[in-house]
Amino acid sequence: MAAPASPVSAKGSDGVRFVGRLTRWTAVAAAWLTAFSAFAASSPPGAAIKAAYVTKFAPFVVWPPSAFAGPTAPLVLCVQGDDPFGAMLDRLTADQRVGSHPMIVRHLARIDAESGCHIAYLAGSPAQSQAAAIRALEGSPVLTVTDAEADGGAAGMVRLVLVDGRVRFVIDAGRAGQCRLVISSKLLALAAEVRR
Amino acid sequence: MSGQTLPLAPVRQRVALLWVATAVLVLTSIGLATRQEAAHRADALRQAEAQTDVLAGSVSAALAFNDTDAMRQSLQALMRDPRVVQAAIYGPDGARRAQLSRPGVGAAPDRLTAAEALPTDRGDVVARPVIEQGQQLGFVYLQTTPESLASLVGRHTSLIVLTLLSLLLLAVVTQAAARLADANARLSEEIEARAAAEDALRQAQKLEALGQLTGGIAHDFNNLLQAIHGAFELILGKAGDERTVRRWATNGIDAANRGARLTRQLLAFSRQQKLELKPLIVADTLAGMADLIGRTLGPSIELVFDLDEDRLLVMSDPTQLELALMNLAVNARDAMLEGGRLIIRTRKVDHPGDAVLPAGRYIELQVVDSGEGMAPAVAERAFEPFFTTKTVGRGTGLGLAQVYGVARQAGGDARIVSQPGQGTSVIMLLSEASAAALAAAPKAPTAALSPSEAPAATVLLVDDDDAVRATVSAGLEARGFRVLNANGGEAGLALADAGPDIAVIDYAMPGMDGAATAEALRSRLPNLPIILASGHSDTAAVERVLGGAATIMRKPFDTAALADAITRVLRPDAA
Repeated sequence: MAAPASPVSAKGSDGVRFVGRLTRWTAVAAAWLTAFSAFAASSPPGAAIKAAYVTKFAPFVVWPPSAFAGPTAPLVLCVQGDDPFGAMLDRLTADQRVGSHPMIVRHLARIDAESGCHIAYLAGSPAQSQAAAIRALEGSPVLTVTDAEADGGAAGMVRLVLVDGRVRFVIDAGRAGQCRLVISSKLLALAAEVRR
Repeated sequence: MSGQTLPLAPVRQRVALLWVATAVLVLTSIGLATRQEAAHRADALRQAEAQTDVLAGSVSAALAFNDTDAMRQSLQALMRDPRVVQAAIYGPDGARRAQLSRPGVGAAPDRLTAAEALPTDRGDVVARPVIEQGQQLGFVYLQTTPESLASLVGRHTSLIVLTLLSLLLLAVVTQAAARLADANARLSEEIEARAAAEDALRQAQKLEALGQLTGGIAHDFNNLLQAIHGAFELILGKAGDERTVRRWATNGIDAANRGARLTRQLLAFSRQQKLELKPLIVADTLAGMADLIGRTLGPSIELVFDLDEDRLLVMSDPTQLELALMNLAVNARDAMLEGGRLIIRTRKVDHPGDAVLPAGRYIELQVVDSGEGMAPAVAERAFEPFFTTKTVGRGTGLGLAQVYGVARQAGGDARIVSQPGQGTSVIMLLSEASAAALAAAPKAPTAALSPSEAPAATVLLVDDDDAVRATVSAGLEARGFRVLNANGGEAGLALADAGPDIAVIDYAMPGMDGAATAEALRSRLPNLPIILASGHSDTAAVERVLGGAATIMRKPFDTAALADAITRVLRPDAA
């Protein structure tokens, strides 16, 4: 907003008063903007919705049989790096089953193909960046999920995006396929964008 | 015409059957419609269920990620089906997430719990859980419209129209059949009434014919009685003059014989007489009838006899043959009202044989008139009993039938040759009898009184007619028999102990008749020979009662003939 810099100083006290009022309004507006941003960052569409999304992908993804030790082996949802969800994931997945697999949550600083994850939310950390984590999981049947707001361009197979103020997701079906994951068309139909 | 009735019952049955058919048709239509309706409803429910299942499958992701737009899109797709009036999607917590309703349809339930989500069968409402990989993500709810009456009627139009048309058709047919049954019933009644009327008419005709015949014969009979009466008067007046008595007695007997012949004809006409076939010479029989036929024809008709001289024998009943000739003469007379000529001709023919007659020698008896003749259609039926062209009261239609019957019984046939305006020839072909048959015929009994040959036998004479009994009794006593007189069956039985050698019993008696009397006598005296005297012609009935064991004398008879019969019965070897 460049309006306050307009040539009105020659107008004397009136002009000063006008500038003062404008400054005050600007300050109020700035305060509102800040408040709104803060609100947007800490509440829906925010972490809670993203956490819920992360736990809901499982029923629409098919893993290769080798991904599970047995029919009742747990489906492991890993959170790599600096977990933004706190206890929310644990609460959401409590008692949740996908098919015959109970769902459990594991928090990891670093992740690789041997971590035993089925779904990995990559939050990134100084120890392992999201890009490094994605590389570590290259070729493994692990559904990687990243948040576009926080991944710095290192997109997972599923990337949470904000569209018109709503949380949506972009799916990279091609990469998932390379990792022997089959993503349900129902989920693809709901995606904001599907990459092949 | 027999009392034939039309097959009435089947027509009535057919009407009943038509009603049954109508009922069956209606019931079948209703049943069919009901079944179709049930099937249609089941189909509609299945379809709604399928739609709900599809919805449940398609909205799982939208439900999981609470994508209301996607949910609404799915619902909108569903609402394109006009039968779907409301669709809603519920979250796993039971809260409604999205709904679409048509105008006028109330809101879907705000909440849907798990129990309600199971397939409810309110008919038009279906609910299904949305499950993905065992995870229950929520519920879908679908309400379809109950079918409108117009649509319902529209769907059944063909059946309704078909049923109505069939009913209309059935109604028409049933009515027609009912009318036919009524008409049939009326016709049957009329036929019965007509048959009754015909029977009555026939009886009347027969009576009238009998009356006619009786009237005709009464004249002759009076003459005969006059002759007999006169003879007795003369005998009374000249009782001492044996020659005169003899002459007048002979005259009286002749007259009585003629009377007997007349009564035989009457009996023959009434068809109660058994045919007694015996060999006879046709020419002789005809010659004896010349006077009678001449009187029948009247003066305006010329009678010509053309008789063969071969004197061939035929087997026939002389009385019946005479009657046949009389019938032919009467027919000829009626065909020649303006006068004419009647030729009676006999000749010998050698017949080659045909469908009716075996080959052989026959006597052909032709009666040819110069009358009006007959059309072929009439000639064809002329021998049928009761077929007549004469007006009521003039003929019974039995005359030519009797002629035909006599000819057939004599082993021959009767034929008609006639053309309208050309006169009529009736030809009787009579089979020639063998000479042996003639020799076997019984000889006429001797009329002379011969007391010396009579056995000293006791005759029990039972007859309710005092005059007859007195005459016969006197005649038998004059021939040396001892006679026990009884005026009835009971009286005859009372005399059984008097030791009769033979019984002569009248057949027709009031109370105990001849047959009963004979039976009762036989039970007391098993070996008693019995002679039944019958003025009645029903000899068959007598034979039935007594078997062949009784001798039968036909009334009127000569006392001499009775005496001979008694002698033959008592001493078979002497006869």
